[in-house]
Amino acid sequence: MSEIENKDTVTEEIQKDFVEDGKNKLIVKCKFCGSKILEKKTAKYVTQEKELPLMQQDANRKEGEVQKEMIIEYYHVDHMYVFENIGFTHPVENHKYLICADCDAGPIGYFDLDSKHSYVALSRIVHS
Amino acid sequence: MAKKTYDLLFKLLLIGDSGVGKTCILFRFSDNHFTTTFISTIGIDFKIKTVELRGKKIKLQIWDTAGQERFHTITTSYYRGAMGIMLVYDITNEKTFDDIVKWLRNIDEHANEDVEKMILGNKCDAEEKRVVSKERGEAIAREHGIRFMETSAKANINIDRAFSELAEAILDKAAGRDADPDHARIAVERRPSRAPPAKACCS
Repeated sequence: MSEIENKDTVTEEIQKDFVEDGKNKLIVKCKFCGSKILEKKTAKYVTQEKELPLMQQDANRKEGEVQKEMIIEYYHVDHMYVFENIGFTHPVENHKYLICADCDAGPIGYFDLDSKHSYVALSRIVHS
Repeated sequence: MAKKTYDLLFKLLLIGDSGVGKTCILFRFSDNHFTTTFISTIGIDFKIKTVELRGKKIKLQIWDTAGQERFHTITTSYYRGAMGIMLVYDITNEKTFDDIVKWLRNIDEHANEDVEKMILGNKCDAEEKRVVSKERGEAIAREHGIRFMETSAKANINIDRAFSELAEAILDKAAGRDADPDHARIAVERRPSRAPPAKACCS
């Protein structure tokens, strides 16, 4: 279970540096091009176990296979117009994936078609 | 309820024949090394971009047709709520230019009558393959009282500018209205359409 413990430690540190009053203390930007995704304090920090496809899929993976990773920390955005700049993919099952509006890097999170809420993975963005 | 973080919301559409580069205008995967094959396989539905014009924070929601034009199924539902339309042709393909007239008719039939339009002659980076002169683009735009610009999604020429200008034109129309996105679309008396000045492209 050491992996889980590590994650908890990381989570605490992230909370201290980037979260204030349960929201993003800083501006959220694209890791690659710096496009502004969220203004300060517009999204709620949440933890949930949710898999996201990797941004870089291994070229040697099996045909049709989608490589994923488990992500715990997300910013919850309750309305799509809260985003400064964001792209939505076509739906896959009950999601649309979120991508950078300027360089199309993604998925940086997902939009849930049932709840209409969006979730941005902290590990796939930068704070500034 | 959370405080609204913007003043106006404009829904914009990209229209035109298949292959004119509408998707590249919205989705810059052509030259982009960040874009993963995963994302390009799924394809993009729409984007939200925030621009500031005259001190107002405006959210643009930009939609692509997702290939519906191939099946001639672009109908009222796609146009619903659209406040601006980018009508795109390919300067290296005569037919896409000829079809602009057809698309204008389609827009007249299905879209709101006060929808703001702009014609884009795309792929202006491919000068050596050009078959539609810029003058012809300007002429058809003038004839219909619509703005015009040549763009290159590939070389990122005039794309952001085109969206800003379209947004500005919608803002002009909505001028004097409350800063309420739900009512921003109410028609106001339209000023005589001015033929837009020639825009430099690829130079």
